[in-house]
Amino acid sequence: MFFKKINIWYVSSFLISLIVAVPIVTVFSSFFENTGNYSYILKNTFLYEYILNSLLLLLGVLFLSFIIGVGSAYIVSFYKFPGVNFFKWALILSFAVPAYIYAYSLTAFFENFGTAFSILKNLFGEGNYNSSIPKFDGMLGAIISISFSLFGYVYVLTRASFHYQSQNLIELGKNLGFSRKKSFFKIILPSARPAIVAGLSLVAMETLSDFGSVSFFGISTLTTGIYNAWISFDDLVLANRLSFFLLIFIFGLFILENLSRKKAQYHSLTKSGSKSKSVINLSGYKSFLAFTFCFIVFFISFLFPVLQMLYWTIIFPKHFIDLNIIELLINTILLVFLSSIVLIFFAFISNYGNRVSKSKLLEALTTFSISGYAIPGVILAVAFITFISWFDNNFMKYFEIYAFKSIFIGSILGLVLVYFIRFYSLASNGIKSGYLKINYSIDESSYLLGYSKLKTFTNIHIPYLKNSILLIGILISIEIIKELPITLIMRPFNFETFATTAYIFASQDLLEAAAAPSLFLIIIASIFILVTSRYILKD
Amino acid sequence: MIKNFLEIENVTFKAGDKSKVNNLSLSIENEGDIICLLGPSGIGKTTILRSIAGLEKIESGKISLKDKIISSKDIHIDPEKRNISLSFQDNCLFPHYNVIQNIEFGAARNKKKSKNLSVDEVISFLHLDHVKNKFPHEISSGEAQRASLARSLLSKPDLLLLDEPLSNVDQSFKEEIQVKLKKILTELKITTIIVTHDSYEAFYLGSKCGIILDGQLKQYDDPYNVYHFPNSVEVVNFLNRGILIPAKVTGESSLENDDLGTIKGNFIKHYPKGSDVQLLLQPEDLEHDDKSNLKLEVVDRKFRGTNFIYTLKTLSNLLIPVFVHSHHIHQHEVDEKFGIKRPIVIDHIVCF
Repeated sequence: MFFKKINIWYVSSFLISLIVAVPIVTVFSSFFENTGNYSYILKNTFLYEYILNSLLLLLGVLFLSFIIGVGSAYIVSFYKFPGVNFFKWALILSFAVPAYIYAYSLTAFFENFGTAFSILKNLFGEGNYNSSIPKFDGMLGAIISISFSLFGYVYVLTRASFHYQSQNLIELGKNLGFSRKKSFFKIILPSARPAIVAGLSLVAMETLSDFGSVSFFGISTLTTGIYNAWISFDDLVLANRLSFFLLIFIFGLFILENLSRKKAQYHSLTKSGSKSKSVINLSGYKSFLAFTFCFIVFFISFLFPVLQMLYWTIIFPKHFIDLNIIELLINTILLVFLSSIVLIFFAFISNYGNRVSKSKLLEALTTFSISGYAIPGVILAVAFITFISWFDNNFMKYFEIYAFKSIFIGSILGLVLVYFIRFYSLASNGIKSGYLKINYSIDESSYLLGYSKLKTFTNIHIPYLKNSILLIGILISIEIIKELPITLIMRPFNFETFATTAYIFASQDLLEAAAAPSLFLIIIASIFILVTSRYILKD
Repeated sequence: MIKNFLEIENVTFKAGDKSKVNNLSLSIENEGDIICLLGPSGIGKTTILRSIAGLEKIESGKISLKDKIISSKDIHIDPEKRNISLSFQDNCLFPHYNVIQNIEFGAARNKKKSKNLSVDEVISFLHLDHVKNKFPHEISSGEAQRASLARSLLSKPDLLLLDEPLSNVDQSFKEEIQVKLKKILTELKITTIIVTHDSYEAFYLGSKCGIILDGQLKQYDDPYNVYHFPNSVEVVNFLNRGILIPAKVTGESSLENDDLGTIKGNFIKHYPKGSDVQLLLQPEDLEHDDKSNLKLEVVDRKFRGTNFIYTLKTLSNLLIPVFVHSHHIHQHEVDEKFGIKRPIVIDHIVCF
């Protein structure tokens, strides 16, 4: 009976799950292997520091993201003031600035003889300004960089929750005699709580996964520990053991985020039958304060890093001229194109399979397959390499196939495969939410009009989902353009993207050279974000 | 020579994990016949339609269309290969096509079939002219339902299944559409099964009506018989077009009720003298007579345009409905006395 059911949907869903399972199984299996000597030292010295730093970073980022994200979402949702419509979408431009580029800008601006120093010197003449310019490096720098780069998750989800919050709910507060402040804390904020928790969980997962900015600021976290165990000590098993600790944290957050997200959907159901929300017109100093808050958030999160990178690109034109932009662009586009096609193709097969077969097993496999987004890029890459090496040593050599390792490690194929694991949830959830908008009886109507499953797919699904497909393609592109650790570890020799080029220069203390690739990365990502801003803000 | 156009034999229809309708058997004898299925919500009427259309598999029994088995325990022909069209109760228009494109989707099927019905014709009779270029989200649920009906009609199926086709349609259009729908279905000889909870709609459109109650087909007969000769207490209660009152059989053609006295008429079924029975009393069974000495108290009066339905209370607190033409010379108010013509003669006596 079971074998009768096996078809293309089962095979493809099983294949996708298998690919996603590789890093998870590899990480867990590391506990049954011996580590090198370094593991002993690490266990007794650095592991606690890694965990402590990771937690400290996490708490700092969560706090700051909550304040900026919820604060800005509240102001743009409930008040009207000059520029509010601009800020609604401008605040999501922070997604275009990866935390590591933010870190470069922060350092470039505040370091000794940095941009801040130059500004003061031009304004007030020569002086010993270095001692009076604050330094945002180390843990504080990482917290600021990551928070301003990731607060967008909290902003977008909270704003959507506020947006769909019923006016009736707010009027209920008025009827109960609540003041505006009391309404905010008793009604508005609690009903947006699932959305805020979902946003913060995403921020937390990304923070724990962050590699670029913590490594730039020299903070020892679990992520940098994994990278160093592999790169500096060539100890893959240790890297995987560290990954295990990190994965425990992350899976906890993954579950929390999933539960919150389900609850967060309730708020979007109040659209019909409720009045459109009335916003308060601000004037005078209140209007100025609201504008200033939003402008500061927009300036710090987006304009500041852009202007800093632009400034350095202009004053150090040599690095810009030396940069092989065409090659970097082609490489980036190649990765974006290949990954998007593969991701969307498999996401379609899996979701369409779920739709037509209505199998619980397929649904479970799909749910498992999307867990890849919770696993940090560093872990995925290292675990993938571990698995390929193990497979090569134990199977391929037995068959005297020697090229196996080079097919997957240091190749475009390997890189796209790891991207696939990391970003499959983005593609799958995108297609899934598109499909959720098509009532199943639409398919049934099509069958009853004589259209086969394939014709229903091509004549009904594809035309209806074309906007979703485009949107998913762009979202994947934004992520891949910004992605650093996977590209850094998995890329072929001499194959660079804007992200890796900026990182390599920055890690060699050549921040001025990192400016041009960083600027290009932000510009490309910003264009994509602007194209999709309407959809991002909607959902 | 086709035996029956559609034959449903001992079929158990199932939706999800719950068995809904058991051992149902019915047939549509001729091509072009229209039948209606009536029953309360959630009883499984839609499941029957979905199973005939091939969207659900059946548990047991078999369904044959034009002498060809389309569903059985082992055979299940895919819905797209059955040439059966189902018009859903809810809006199932393709959201990214406008109304006319949606309708043309139906017309694209069976282009060569002789049943001639143009897109314009259907659009006109279903009053869709003003919305034909709009998208599904821009039109009302009634308009969407009519567009869906148009799409199904134009697909020229061997069997058309309509699930509450006019439930969202405005009352002002409803009767007109019913008339035209019946005309088109009859002229084009489109065999149709209509599911509805509106008994008037079923009695008008269907040449036969099936009453589904408690997971079973309780009665399958022509509308007149279903109304006047319900075969069970459940059917009487479901149709809600009369009440059952206690009576004692007093002769070959008479019975006695404590409140109404002697009632005469033709028994549909024989009962021995002295039997205690439940007599079906329908609003048109009693006649009003101001001069009668049998007077009952009016407790309610419903104006239905062409008639009034008075609810009268007997001495033993039975509530009896009585039909009176609305042009009746005077009206009786609540709490007034209302005379019933004696002797009471009912053309056909239905007892249980």
